[in-house]
Amino acid sequence: MKLGKTESVCPVCLRRIPAERVARGGDVFLEKSCPEHGAFSVIVWRGGLGEEFDKWRSYTPPDGDNGSKCPTGCGLCAGHLNKTCCALVEITRRCNLRCPVCFANGGTDAPEPSVAELYKIFKKLAAAGNTFVQLSGGEPTVRDDLPEIVAAARRAGCDTVQLNSNGIRLGSDPDFTAALADAGLSFVFMQFDGMSDNSYIYLRDSQLITEKIKAIDICSRFNLGVTLVPTLVPRVNIKEIGDIIDFAVSRSPAVRGVHFQPVSYFGRYPFPPADDDRITLPEVLQQIEIQTGGKFKLRDFNPSSCDHPCCGFHGDFVVLPRGRIMKLTKKYNPDACCADDSHLKNRAFVARRWTRPANDTSAAAPTDEKSDYRDMSTFLSRVKSHGFTISAMAFQDAWTLDLERLRRCSLHVSDGARVVPFCARYVTGSAPIQL
Amino acid sequence: MSESNELLWRCGRCDEALEKKKTVFSYLGRSFTHEVDVCPKCGAVLIPRELAEGRMAEVEEQLEDK
Repeated sequence: MKLGKTESVCPVCLRRIPAERVARGGDVFLEKSCPEHGAFSVIVWRGGLGEEFDKWRSYTPPDGDNGSKCPTGCGLCAGHLNKTCCALVEITRRCNLRCPVCFANGGTDAPEPSVAELYKIFKKLAAAGNTFVQLSGGEPTVRDDLPEIVAAARRAGCDTVQLNSNGIRLGSDPDFTAALADAGLSFVFMQFDGMSDNSYIYLRDSQLITEKIKAIDICSRFNLGVTLVPTLVPRVNIKEIGDIIDFAVSRSPAVRGVHFQPVSYFGRYPFPPADDDRITLPEVLQQIEIQTGGKFKLRDFNPSSCDHPCCGFHGDFVVLPRGRIMKLTKKYNPDACCADDSHLKNRAFVARRWTRPANDTSAAAPTDEKSDYRDMSTFLSRVKSHGFTISAMAFQDAWTLDLERLRRCSLHVSDGARVVPFCARYVTGSAPIQL
Repeated sequence: MSESNELLWRCGRCDEALEKKKTVFSYLGRSFTHEVDVCPKCGAVLIPRELAEGRMAEVEEQLEDK
């Protein structure tokens, strides 16, 4: 059954081509054909969620949604439908790992922007109202001047500064981590692929679980919240979804949540993907419910409202004593996804949940099992100290890229001159070419 | 409501002195409790401005979805 038309790119030459969403046996495929390189079909949504699927797919593009320059003219053009929620700034291409899977194809020695040059970028972003920046790479912690970069972002007017990191240096160099906290770093978004070394050996070519746990401990010492970011790969770490969530809950409030990223095939990856090399969002949700024994259920999550509803989901929780969970996610409101201020709401939500309170009162907050968390003061104390999110984002690669989704993206990469949607910035063809 | 002094409020309808009582507030799909001044006769509740603009606003902010 045909679900609707959209546009995509050829996975080989990246030229823009028509595409169609087609349902077969409860799954949804993106199908397209390049005049030069032939027909392509890729799974984008596996396993029905019943009525839930309709709810998530209820998004209708506004009239005049032609995005005529998409995706090569990104920067942003008038056809882009969402404003910037988070602006990602690449501060290095170097890395202290050589992962077989890396969207940024990190690990090279390209010239790096100086602190002064970065300050100008931050200043420009802040002046445009983009006050939430992600410092990314490569691996940002390979730069010894990272604390100065964080301070420069804060001085430029960026009030939320996120660090995307593998955590290795954060755990092994406490003085460096302390300096980042002192400079005004808000929180860490830490690559965390599972609880077993096997997942790290496959994805990162190193045994890293000990280093990851150490990084969480050191960040906690300096009151830096950590959100765990697993890249989910079929036959590698899907079975660890429940263990990752259990671990994250057990480490609350140091750990602020888990942000799952189903593997996408851009940058560096071992081989071109077949459909069984992909896991889609409904499968992630189903595995969360199954692997946590129903502690977290499908109904506890909503689709992205700041991006296209098929790009991600989130659930909002509070961790109570002994790992009990209070659920805060409200009923999904499809209208919210098109609201003009959705990027601001998302920015405030993320900053609120992933940042630990400046004067962490968790020690003083009631932790007695008998505490009444319906009491306004008790609730407020606990939600600030132990707020917890489970979220996901499905990045698009050259096979799955759907321009309707791309035009709703609010995670943008800044190169100083312009901001570009994340998936448009990093998408690469099956041949080594980039948009 | 009428104010007899800064610390003591009386119900404007019943002329009863308000009493502190744990009260349930429902909004944004959740219920919370807080101790506020209540008329013992008719149950009218006094929400002081600092509560409305303070903790109640904070709870609302915390429940704001993305």
